[in-house]
Amino acid sequence: MKPLSRFPSWLRRSVRFNKEIIETKTLLFEKNINTVCQSARCPNIHDCFSRKKCTFLILGNYCTRSCRFCAIETEKKLSPPDTKELFDIRDAVRDLGVRSVVITSVTRDDLEDGGAGHFADCIKILREAEILQPGVYPERSRRGLQDDQMGETTESSQSGHLNIEVLVPDFLGRKSSIERVVFARPDVFAHNIETVPRLYKEVRPQADYKRSLDVIRHAKGFSAEIVTKSGLMAGLGEDVDEVYGVMRDLKRAGCDIITIGQYLKPDTGCLDVKEFLHPSKFEQFSEWAKEIGFKKYNCSPFTRSSYLE
Amino acid sequence: MAELKLPELAEGVNEAVVSFWHFKEGDTVKEGDEVVEMATDKAAFNVPSKTAGTLKKIAANEGDTVKVGSVLAVIE
Repeated sequence: MKPLSRFPSWLRRSVRFNKEIIETKTLLFEKNINTVCQSARCPNIHDCFSRKKCTFLILGNYCTRSCRFCAIETEKKLSPPDTKELFDIRDAVRDLGVRSVVITSVTRDDLEDGGAGHFADCIKILREAEILQPGVYPERSRRGLQDDQMGETTESSQSGHLNIEVLVPDFLGRKSSIERVVFARPDVFAHNIETVPRLYKEVRPQADYKRSLDVIRHAKGFSAEIVTKSGLMAGLGEDVDEVYGVMRDLKRAGCDIITIGQYLKPDTGCLDVKEFLHPSKFEQFSEWAKEIGFKKYNCSPFTRSSYLE
Repeated sequence: MAELKLPELAEGVNEAVVSFWHFKEGDTVKEGDEVVEMATDKAAFNVPSKTAGTLKKIAANEGDTVKVGSVLAVIE
């Protein structure tokens, strides 16, 4: 008899052996760049790094919060933001040859602006590189590159424009911080709601459901043109009706794009997975997202905020 | 002869458990065939063969915990 895996059949990833993965890892290592792909031990890393895709993690590799779904270590005293980190990312984006980039960060409640200025600088530095050196981001027509980021429009991928998506923390709800990031004109402004309100205390003890909704609401209110995006994890003990409620709340807050994926326990100290949701439940979420009227949506077990299946 | 070693499955994860073998000793495998399923705390991963040949030896049994870099199988 075949012994049972501890994971259901739909939660399989394939390991790849190719030079692109090695090149991606080497480049990140040499420049000492943090990625959430590595910090979160993401199982999609083989696929993404094979395509030279990664999600950059700025403001260091330690977090002032201690969310129970996340493997990133908590520290109360952290180093100030380092501009070198941003120039290294700019160079990495050039060297990887990607047409779209996702920038996220740890949460920095120790900083007066929560790190919003660093996000704005990052966008500016990437945009300047684009303007001053038109050849820096050459046309690419590699398969998959144009569709794998939902905020990316067809026009932008064809015009040589670098698509910049930022996935920001809640900045403790500071409106000035949200505005600072939106004002820097990323292509997509994302903030993840992560879970249903009932589970916030257990999953995100230092966060607040309404505050997170208000991040999206304020970004959209500040600039109607900004594309807003949010994501949540399934499998933490929520029921599907609660997920529906969150989807409705996000839509009302002005969220354009939604992603829902299976929560997977990244480290021994993190919350256990309560349920491995069958793919049919994710299909149900997609149906609801369509009904509710999200412009784009992606719901599947391995969907992540910056990984769409 | 090629040794199939356990690659790094996710960043900083230095071991994994053999879930099951998709092949048995003596079977013929092609390059890219997924030979064995490994599980970490976070997810399950299928490890492909880098070469074509005969699966000569299975070096880790189902249920065994294996370190990254250890030999899982010999293919020749």
